[in-house]
Amino acid sequence: MFGQILVNFLFASAIVSCGAYFLSWRDNDVMRKVGRSFMLVVFGGLCVVLGMLVYNIFQHDFSYYYVYNYSNTELSAPLLFATSYAGQEGSFMLWTFLVSLIGVCMLPYVRRVGYESHFMSFYTLALIFLLLMMVAKSPFQFVWEHFASDPNVYTGFEPQNGRGLNPLLHNLWITIHPPILFTGFAAMTVPFAFAMAGLARREYTQWIRVSLPWTLFGTAVLGFGIMLGGFWAYETLGWGGFWAWDPVENSSLIPWLVCVALVHTMLTQKQTGGLVKTNFFLAVSAFILVLYSTFLTRSGVLGDTSVHSFVDPGMFAYILLIGTMIVFGVLGFGMIFRRIGELGKGAADFKLNSREFIIGIGSMLTLISAGIVLFGTSYPLFSELIVHTKVAMQVSFYNTSHLLLAILIGVVNAVSMLVNWKVTGKALFFKRLRLPLIMAIAATALVVAFGWQDIPYVLLAFASFLSLFVNLDLLIRLIASRPDKIGAYVSHIGIAALFLGVIATSRYSVLDHARLVQDEPTEVLGMTLTYQGKREIDKQFKDREKYEYLVKVQKNGGEGVVKPILYWSDYNQRKSAFLEPGINRTFVQDVYVSPKAVEIQGSSPTAAVHKFEETPFPFDSNVVVTLQRFDMTSAMQGGGPDLRMGVELTFDTPDSTWSEVIYSTRTVDNLWRYEPYQVPGTGYYVALREIKPDRSNLANSEAVLSFADIDRAETLEREVFSVEVSTKPFINLVWIGVILMVAGFGVAIVRRVKELEPRGKKPANPVGAAKPMPQVHDAPSFESESSGDESEAGKA
Amino acid sequence: MKAKYLIGGLIVTVFVVIGLISLDGGTIAYSDIQTARSTPGFVKVKGSWIKENGADYDSEHDIFTFHMRDSTDHMIKVVHNGPRPNNFELAESIVVEGRIENDILQSRHILTKCPSKYEGNTMRDPSAYAPAAGEGNSES
Repeated sequence: MFGQILVNFLFASAIVSCGAYFLSWRDNDVMRKVGRSFMLVVFGGLCVVLGMLVYNIFQHDFSYYYVYNYSNTELSAPLLFATSYAGQEGSFMLWTFLVSLIGVCMLPYVRRVGYESHFMSFYTLALIFLLLMMVAKSPFQFVWEHFASDPNVYTGFEPQNGRGLNPLLHNLWITIHPPILFTGFAAMTVPFAFAMAGLARREYTQWIRVSLPWTLFGTAVLGFGIMLGGFWAYETLGWGGFWAWDPVENSSLIPWLVCVALVHTMLTQKQTGGLVKTNFFLAVSAFILVLYSTFLTRSGVLGDTSVHSFVDPGMFAYILLIGTMIVFGVLGFGMIFRRIGELGKGAADFKLNSREFIIGIGSMLTLISAGIVLFGTSYPLFSELIVHTKVAMQVSFYNTSHLLLAILIGVVNAVSMLVNWKVTGKALFFKRLRLPLIMAIAATALVVAFGWQDIPYVLLAFASFLSLFVNLDLLIRLIASRPDKIGAYVSHIGIAALFLGVIATSRYSVLDHARLVQDEPTEVLGMTLTYQGKREIDKQFKDREKYEYLVKVQKNGGEGVVKPILYWSDYNQRKSAFLEPGINRTFVQDVYVSPKAVEIQGSSPTAAVHKFEETPFPFDSNVVVTLQRFDMTSAMQGGGPDLRMGVELTFDTPDSTWSEVIYSTRTVDNLWRYEPYQVPGTGYYVALREIKPDRSNLANSEAVLSFADIDRAETLEREVFSVEVSTKPFINLVWIGVILMVAGFGVAIVRRVKELEPRGKKPANPVGAAKPMPQVHDAPSFESESSGDESEAGKA
Repeated sequence: MKAKYLIGGLIVTVFVVIGLISLDGGTIAYSDIQTARSTPGFVKVKGSWIKENGADYDSEHDIFTFHMRDSTDHMIKVVHNGPRPNNFELAESIVVEGRIENDILQSRHILTKCPSKYEGNTMRDPSAYAPAAGEGNSES
């Protein structure tokens, strides 16, 4: 109750904050203080709201529908925390919270750069819409409110346990991936608000400078979040790969690609004064695309085309999401259109051999990629609207188009690093190109010799190598003298490594199906795989049975063990197992083993016996067993749902006679798990398979025994573990690539933040004025020099 | 200045053309079972697993077999190359990508649409979650 009221109050506070900030545009300090105070109220309130939700979850207060629906008492603390955003309501809350958190962090910054009023006006406007969504989708609804039509659920009803979290989500990644992704999403609000502030203040250049570090931050975080999702899919979910062009993946990729382009066009404007309109357009687009992404993934419109779960959020949220997109679209693009006449002034003329032109081409290619993904992802939606049949995009659509795009991006990146801003001489360009080109050709020849034969992939490999060596060359020259400037090179090396990793894993992965009989080495893909048996893990949890299936992988003398997992959970009443892959990692390649099924092979002869009946062993009549009594003492002690029962058997051999109690456990699902007993001095086994009680006369109950002989293979019941085995050559390049890329962004952020700090005034070079390019080391730096040449051309 | 736009325009044109070419064969339509029967190529069929008919995985041939029913109440046998998909029992609906040959839907991909929660107007088996046992009918 209190939670809902607080959310409503915060919504109202955001409106007040936004309104006050708008009123403070004409330097009204009082209004600015009001806006700021209410912004802090919103942030503080969201902390409380989030804290309340987390508290309810940790208290297992299942009278709250959200808590009941996503958590249960069996979840560990990190997973309990993760349930606070596992559901739709919670994920909106996390997003809103992060937007407010970033907003509060921005406050001192925007005050320092003198953008507070305008920036915060638009920033809080975005908060209003997010809070409105929270008003509509509150995580503080009670179960009896949700199940209002169910007479069994009366007011005050508190379920004893919750529904829990899908076992596929029970891992570390759910605690990391969504918060990082949402931080990236939330950070996209910043360039948008700066762009709007720039338009409002008619400052078409300054906003680039102040917004650049934050745009870099958002791009880095979002990129990292996307990669973590890919890693999760690969490592745990067993999708076989890290990227499947699934709508959910695509929908976060689209704004990211736009942001990557934006980072480059912002740099270009900062350096040359050009691309003013482009930057406004892209900053607004990135934000709208984040909203669109949310709409695609949260409204359920693409429900049938994605592996992710969606739930219809209801008509109100659906309309609200569309409404938000329209409002910000009209506002953003409308503002640009209103100022369009002023924006064109002073646009620089790019020379074909200038860096700005090549970067422009690169940004365009990135935007084309975004456009293709946007088109493909939205296609089912529009095909349904227009021709009333739902049509989905196949993976081949994205792969085909991106193969060529990636080749061009690789080459363009290499070239852009070799040319200077403004203009570059031919001789200089070729001189810089020579070494990296030779190395790229050599490396490409090497991979061709190793068997990469498809021409498009060879071309992509060449483009990636060229980009790699060009950037590496420059990185080595710069790292000692200007380590603060290496960000771009590190990022581009990362992208090149990513491309190479993608070629290797996607094109040169091999795959086979194998049935691994326990303890029998099996040849698969030139490796020897041996299934060695299973081991139960996570035993402390009562709601699951989780087994690691140990498979030994031997190849070329090397050896490793992979541990795919079969996970039986109460979540689906243990009807079938959740499957997680096992991965044998080496630097060169991963061996990826996806479990498929487990069966029992072989059958041992059985015999139904009653008390005092003598039964000879089926394959050796010299050994005779007699059932003496039923032993239920273990069953009394356990207390759990499983019953461990035993029978005392007498063994008679020509040499001796002895007694032994053998056991079997009946599980809740009426499955018997038996503990075979080896007859000493022989290879014979006997096991209690089942006890069939005679309810009228318990003494007359029947025990089913089974017999096995180690020399008769057909009597040995062995598990057959069916798996899909694939190799993932150089998949590490994918992860390393993305991490380098993010690290490069990190370096760049530090540099751009430092640039903003006031220091000794340098004479500003007006744009267009020719100035000598510094030719230290003969290497072009990504920025020609310090930030002194900021163009003010666009300023009205 | 002219060359700049020329090059840019050229690149965009090339990719629009490439996009349109990849579109052909890059798309796959959703259809019901009846329409799929008369479609020679691959389609996506949405429906649900007919639980009564069971489901079986043959590890020897790596084939998973079951029957599905679509919204128009048509039924078809599905043969999938691969194991039982994760969340198969929980799925409220499944989307099978494949083509129909000899009245068998030969699947190459199965999407299980798992509700990450149970959405409905009544609580699923509220007795399982009830605080006080023994109230009313305790036999379940």
